[in-house]
Amino acid sequence: MNKFISLTKIQVLDFFSKYTQKLNVKNKYLGILVMFVPVLLVLPAAQLVLELYHTFLMVGFPELTITYMYIANTILIVFSSIPLIISIFFYAKDLRLIATLPIREDTIVFSKLASIYIYLLVISCFFLGNSIVLYGTIGGLKVVSLLVGILALLISPLVPMIIATIVLLPFMSVIGSGKRRNLMVVVGNLILIGAIIFIQMISSNIQMRPEELNNLLLQQDGLLMVIGRRFPPSIWLTKMIEGSMLHGLLFIAFNFVLLWILRGLAKTLYNRALMKFNQEGAPAVRGKLYYKSKSKGFQMVRRHINIILGNPIFFLNTVLTIFVPILMFVIVLFTGEVGMDISKSEALASYRLFIYTAVITTPAILGSLSATVITREGKAFWETKVLPVSAKDNIRYRIYSTLVIKLMGSLILGILVLFVIPMDLTSILIAMAFCIAATLFFSSIDMIINIERPFLNWTNPTAAVKNNLNILLSLLIRAIVGFLGYGLVKLLGGWQVSSIILILCGLLFVFYIITRYVIYEMYVEKFIDIAP
Amino acid sequence: MLVVKNVSKIYTNNKKAVDNLDLEIQKGEIIGFIGPNGAGKTTTIRMITGMIAPTEGTIEINGKDIARESVEAKKNFTFVPDHPTIFDAIKGIDYLNFIADMYEVDLKQRKEQIEKYTRAFHIYDALGQTINSYSHGMKQKLLISGALLPNPNLFILDEPMVGLDPHSAKILKDIMREHCERGGTVFFSSHVLEVVENLCHRVVIIHRGRPIACDTLENIKKSSSATLEEIFLEMTKDE
Repeated sequence: MNKFISLTKIQVLDFFSKYTQKLNVKNKYLGILVMFVPVLLVLPAAQLVLELYHTFLMVGFPELTITYMYIANTILIVFSSIPLIISIFFYAKDLRLIATLPIREDTIVFSKLASIYIYLLVISCFFLGNSIVLYGTIGGLKVVSLLVGILALLISPLVPMIIATIVLLPFMSVIGSGKRRNLMVVVGNLILIGAIIFIQMISSNIQMRPEELNNLLLQQDGLLMVIGRRFPPSIWLTKMIEGSMLHGLLFIAFNFVLLWILRGLAKTLYNRALMKFNQEGAPAVRGKLYYKSKSKGFQMVRRHINIILGNPIFFLNTVLTIFVPILMFVIVLFTGEVGMDISKSEALASYRLFIYTAVITTPAILGSLSATVITREGKAFWETKVLPVSAKDNIRYRIYSTLVIKLMGSLILGILVLFVIPMDLTSILIAMAFCIAATLFFSSIDMIINIERPFLNWTNPTAAVKNNLNILLSLLIRAIVGFLGYGLVKLLGGWQVSSIILILCGLLFVFYIITRYVIYEMYVEKFIDIAP
Repeated sequence: MLVVKNVSKIYTNNKKAVDNLDLEIQKGEIIGFIGPNGAGKTTTIRMITGMIAPTEGTIEINGKDIARESVEAKKNFTFVPDHPTIFDAIKGIDYLNFIADMYEVDLKQRKEQIEKYTRAFHIYDALGQTINSYSHGMKQKLLISGALLPNPNLFILDEPMVGLDPHSAKILKDIMREHCERGGTVFFSSHVLEVVENLCHRVVIIHRGRPIACDTLENIKKSSSATLEEIFLEMTKDE
């Protein structure tokens, strides 16, 4: 077999075996069905795309759904690929073996990208895939548009993935050569992500002269040009799906040119970035010796937080899922995209408490930290199992560590948002109560997921915290709870916002009490049975 | 000190890793646990240390059942695994303080014990460094120092000599003897039969999950002049 195919096959098989590992489902067909759980997560995305489609249909340009979603998808993929590339290229355990094999450098780079590509393709299916299917089916089947759209979907992860690779590999070799390289990797990448968000916002904020904008809008594709000017390939893609051969060729050629550039750079990137980074020894940070006594609980919680802080991928992933809302908030404040006038808007007055509550609860919703709190320990899981700590406490301290991180994120967000949306004390307390109830419930139910699927044997850190079924199950629970919450809000339409939030908060708290009971009464034995 | 009664372990794939194991270890003994690869040594040690639960049978450590009174039972022993896989993004001293807090070791004893064992293993000067900068052997020595720190009643080790240089292996053997002289008990598995032969009061040989010998070396060798290696090879020979 061709070396590239063989190496890629191994990487992809490893990816999928980790995904399906320990499903705890003995029935083969049920196992396959469980694998399709992510499909259920497509439903909320489909709803979002459908609403966008109807909005653009009203102005007579439904194809703009694809333009818009392609741009959003590209940004989402750049963000998603950053921790993936770092993990699979720089922190995977297999490089020590692969580096000794008689394989060309570009083969190694491309085979590693193949497993990243699959993951990114799944992400693309959520928004871009939905928009292509909707555009190609609503109002009669458009076979050509659908087929060309599927081709575009398959190509769509390439551009952001290659750009991220070309930027990241040299970037990592520069920031990774210092003594505190793990810290540098996290801080450096946060600055990079911040810069991407900043550039994106600046580019979308560039003011056009009114006459220039008018001229553009008078053209047949005026609106497409206005939206697509942020990223021209989105214009080519939209026109390609509409049937333009020329734009189709342009879009495909653009992807091929990028692939060709990466192929040309692969050897240099491999030797000067990847090997250089891996040749650097582990950081030898020196500190003073000390003898201090702390409580068992403090030590256990600190240990779990340290596991996140000590691994750049875990740290970056946590920061991205929990603190990116904070980062985005700070950037929109600095760029002036959201100003103080939001607090004066009459239209938003009744929604202000909803918005504030939703924003501060983001860390609880986005961060599935408890769903991987056992997994993150990997082969070091045995350590706490042999210690004189009860299984109940062992579980409890894991949940506490998640609570500490999430509530810290909520607190920072809560303070920052107050500068833009001033709230009275009662409203703050109501929002806080909801946030705490949501954090408690999601942290506890995620713990059940991780006890059911501990998955301790991973080859790269991203597999532990991102591309595994635990995270998808955890997101599915959030989608279901969100759907129920949305239904309740609709049902209680005439009620005061504060009353609705308090009712939702009460429900979440009841869910938490039930989940807590289930964990400590039914899952302790299962936790004990987890074999390191 | 350690009583293993009718213990069996059947994994989910129906593989019987340990089959009806009985074992009783007295205070002050050094017990060597030997067997071919896949004989059930690591599974037995994992059950004794509470990492996995037995399918059948009970395990008591100093009179405390590891399944029913796990915390009390675990206060009586410490464990060193065959691979020094630990959370390594912290400093060596952080790890030792963590272990000391878990076993509620007071500050005076903690300082004395840490200095005693880490100096003996020549890793004292590295305690301020993060563990991921340690070599395999240094990590092993850190784990052993951590396990000795609470002065456990029972000291359990899985393949403790792996990764240790001859000098450190000698120190560990001396520490094990010294621990027994002070009334402690040592239970360890090993593939190095010379170590077992020279160090242990009794030897347990396990084969295909079943104990095939559990006696003093003199009694095992009573009927022949063969070495432990020859007896081991004969006993565990596949028909």
